[in-house]
Parts: sequence; structure tokens; C-alpha cells
Amino acid sequence: MSLLVASVGFGLITASVLAIAAVGFTLQFAVTDVLNLAFAAVMTAGAYTAYAVNAAGMPIWLGTLAAMAACAVLSVLLNYLVYAPFQRRGAAPITLVIVSLGMALIVEFSVAAVTGGVGVSYRMSQGSTIRLGGLVLTTAQLAIIGISLVVMVAVHALLRYTRLGKAMRATAANRMLARNCGIRASRVIGLTWALTGALCGLAGTVFAIDVGTFTATSTDIFLILILAAVFLGGPGHAYGAMLGALVIGLATEVSAVYIPADYKYVVAFVILLGMLAVRPAGLLGART
Amino acid sequence: MSGDGRTGLQADGVTAGYGGDPVIRGVSVRAEPGKVASVVGPNGSGKSTLLKALTGVLRVSGGRVSVDGREVTNSPPEDMARAGVGYVPQVDDVFAPLTVRENLEMGGYLLGRGQVGPAMEHVLAVFPRLSGMLRRPAGKLSGGERKMLAMGRVLMLRPSVFLLDEPTANLAPAIARELLEEQVRQLARHGSAVLIVEQRARAVLAVSDHTYVMGGGELRMAGTPAELQADPAFVASFLGGHVQRS
Ligand SMILES: Nc1ncnc2c1ncn2[C@@H]1O[C@H](COP(=O)(O)OP(=O)(O)OP(=O)(O)O)[C@@H](O)[C@H]1O
Ligand SMILES: [Mg+2]
Repeated sequence: MSLLVASVGFGLITASVLAIAAVGFTLQFAVTDVLNLAFAAVMTAGAYTAYAVNAAGMPIWLGTLAAMAACAVLSVLLNYLVYAPFQRRGAAPITLVIVSLGMALIVEFSVAAVTGGVGVSYRMSQGSTIRLGGLVLTTAQLAIIGISLVVMVAVHALLRYTRLGKAMRATAANRMLARNCGIRASRVIGLTWALTGALCGLAGTVFAIDVGTFTATSTDIFLILILAAVFLGGPGHAYGAMLGALVIGLATEVSAVYIPADYKYVVAFVILLGMLAVRPAGLLGART
Repeated sequence: MSGDGRTGLQADGVTAGYGGDPVIRGVSVRAEPGKVASVVGPNGSGKSTLLKALTGVLRVSGGRVSVDGREVTNSPPEDMARAGVGYVPQVDDVFAPLTVRENLEMGGYLLGRGQVGPAMEHVLAVFPRLSGMLRRPAGKLSGGERKMLAMGRVLMLRPSVFLLDEPTANLAPAIARELLEEQVRQLARHGSAVLIVEQRARAVLAVSDHTYVMGGGELRMAGTPAELQADPAFVASFLGGHVQRS
């Protein structure tokens, strides 16, 4: 029983990390039309950026901000130098998926080359242990959950109540019609890359805090979990991604209580496949 | 708002297409402030292509387009909106996942903060039926409601030129007539230049000041409705009958 409760705790933490990444990924896809498989590799670049800042003696929150800035810039550059030129030439969406897969490898190997591929960890205190019901969480873990909740509320507020957020949704729904309204779609798309890039950097850092020790390839499987959460919720759907992250996060960790932990990621995909068979458009259906 | 420098839209010898051979060749049309001009023609004759060329959706490879005396040939769509051109496309004419209110807000994207509210009130006065459904997603509206929203979205900016691509397609005849005779005429009464593409030749002639006939990507005929209704060739091919005497 206590093992089950503890696994729910792990599940919530995994879900929190996953939600930040999945929301960033799905918004990126909705607005820019790029299913960016380099997302997890960029996360790693962010995690190492935070590591470099942290290793230089700065606190981890400063490292996190640096990671967000670095990943925002890296994502904008990826679009500007690679994806946008392909799109301008009328490349099909599937072509861009393959291009992004190539970029994932390039970013990942670049990170590995620069960092030497050894496992690293942040110098930070995990904080004191807190008991909530049967859950035992460290301050750092609680902070990850809190940050994720704040990000979800902020994304909701952005999309519903701000001019930029509504322009993002309009561009996602019908890019040409948005342009007919006078919305400079290319600017909205650029800002979306920056914003989702920042989420990617944040996700990379909290991922690294969560796993403790990480290398350049640590996020490889996490990409699969992001895809599972995004497609479970319905691709391009921000709230769907949040829900998908919760389901996938809990399912992987709780299932590890009952089956060998090596198989827990398979469970995520069994859930996804089952859901897609019943509701091909995902839990929340069409795009935001 | 009308008068002062508003001369409407003028297109001279416009040639455009989708990358291959041009689909429309040398098409010249005018839309004057306060007037309704219409474009009729069979399926595939290039009517939608013409509007796309006039709104910057498609590249113009020959000819020129000007709005209120300013040349805007090949301006991108976002600049066409700024130049005062409003466009209701034939399909994909609303942001389906956005609510009616959000659609209107996007229509007023170029307005200043304080102007959106009054503009929305104006639009809801012209299309009162939208008032009761502001929180509904546009994708859930009926065909008629949806067209009203699409037109209301464009009306948010009070554009000097209105380009409407078959606004009555898929509407019941009574609703179609109301849209043409009430709302479309009203846009012109408020001083906009209206250029409307229609399949319902007879209904659109009734509200037009001037009508262009397209065929095979070219302009075939043009004139006032009275002139066209007196032309046996036009009547035979578009009104499906004999010349009306009146
Ligand atoms: N996206 C496109 N790519 C290539 N060719 C197109 C495209 N859209 C239309 N065409 C072609 O251009 C020609 C004119 O089409 P257009 O849509 O302008 O006709 P239309 O007069 O609006 O017809 P309808 O009354 O059916 O709306 C047609 O031959 C059509 O096949
Ligand atoms: Mg058409």
C-alpha cells in the first residue's frame, strides 16, 4: 500500500515534468506546423546550460533561467535556419518530421561532443523531506510540482486572455485567415518558437533535477513519453497535453509497482494505442 | 468615414495562378465606395482565384491592384488588411475553435484597445443574431450564422473594400436573400466598396450596381444588371431563360 502511495508521488513528479514539455511541444506543433522531434534534444542542451551556470557557482534557479533563454534562442534559430526555409519551399509536414529527427541527432551529438558525455548532476540541496498524507516528497520535488502548476495556469491565461495568445490560437486554427485579419503570422510563429523554447529549457532543467544524474542521451526515452502525452490529449491541444501528461506520468510510475520497472514505458504506449483505437483525435479532440 | 480619398478598389489586367499556368488572365474590375459590384461565372471560371489575387493570398504575375488610390499589388495579406481590404473567403472563413467573441476580436486585431468594444457593438447591431452566441465556438454555428460571423469579423475594421466569396453558398434561399438584400446592401450603405462573388446570378443582380461575368479565367462581359438582363447571351447562360421585359 505505501509502495502504491509512493509511486503516486513519483507519478505526480514525472507528470509535472512531462506536462511542461508536452504543453511546449504541442503548442509548438499547433502554431508552427512543425512536429519538432528535436524538442527533447533541445531540453538536454538546456539542462547542460543550467549545469554550466550552476557549476560556475550560481544557484540552480539562475541556471534554470539561463536554460530557458538558451533554449528559446536555440529554438528560434532552428526555425529560422532550418524549418522555416523548408516550409517556404512547400515541404510536406512528413518531410519536416524527418528533418526534425535529423536536427534531434545533430543537437544531441553536439551536446555530447561539448560535454564529453559523462553523467553530471546539479549542486543543489534537495531540501527537507515533507510528508503529505502517505506521500514523502523533498522540497525540490514539491517545487517541481509547484512550478508545473504555475506554468499550466500561465499557459491557460496566455491562450485565453492575451492578444498574443489569441493570435497564436487563431494562427494555429487558420494561418491564412489570421493573416487576412492583419495578424503578422510570421511574427506570432517566431514568438511561439521563443516561448515554447523557454518551456523546453525549463522542462530540461526540472527533468535533470528529477533524475539527479543526466547525460546527453538521458531524454531519448522522455521524447517518447512527450509524444505519448501529446497524442493522448490530441495533438495541438494544450489542455489535452496537460491531461495526457498526468495520465502518462501516473501510469508509468504506478505500473512500476506491479510489473518490472523496465516495462513501465511500454505501459504508456499501451494506454496511448488503446485510446487512439477508441478516439483517434485524442482525449480532447481537435486543435486548441 | 466615407469621402476623403476613398476611391475603392481598382484592378487592372490582373493575371494570377497557383504556380503553373495562370488561372486568370488580364482581369480588370472596379469596386466603388457605396456600391455593390458582383462577379458571376460558372464553376472553375476563376472567381475565387481573382479574389485571392486581390487580397494578397496569391501572387499576381501581371497587372496592378490599387486601393483608395494606393498601389498594393502583391502586398502580403496582413498589409492588405491594413490597406483597408476585408476578405471573406469561400471556405475556412472563421476560426472554428475560437468563440464567436474571439473571432470578432481577431477581426479587430488591428484596432487599438479602446476601439474593440465599440466596433463589436457596431457589428452586433448589423448582425444582431450573433449577440446571443458570443461564447459559442465558431465551429458549432449553423451555415447562416457562420457566414454572418465571417462577415462580422471583417466588418470589425470597417474596411473600405469588402471582398465576399459566395457568402450565400449552402444557405437556404430565404436566408441567402436576406443576407444579400439586407446585410450586403448595408455594407455598401455604410460607404464600403463591395465586390461579391455569387453563384445565384439572379439574386445577386438584384442587389448589384455593376456586374462582371467571368469564364475560363477571363472577363467575358460587364455592365449594369439592366444591361446584362437585356443581353440574350447572358440571360441564356446565367439566368436560364429569356430576356425579361420590364
Ligand atoms: N489551390 C489550387 N491549386 C491549383 N489550382 C487551383 C487551386 N484552386 C483552384 N484551382 C484551379 O483554378 C481554377 C479556377 O478555380 P476557382 O476556385 O478560382 O474557380 P471559381 O470560379 O471560384 O469556382 P467555384 O464557383 O466552384 O467556386 C480551377 O480550374 C481550379 O481547378
Ligand atoms: Mg470559388
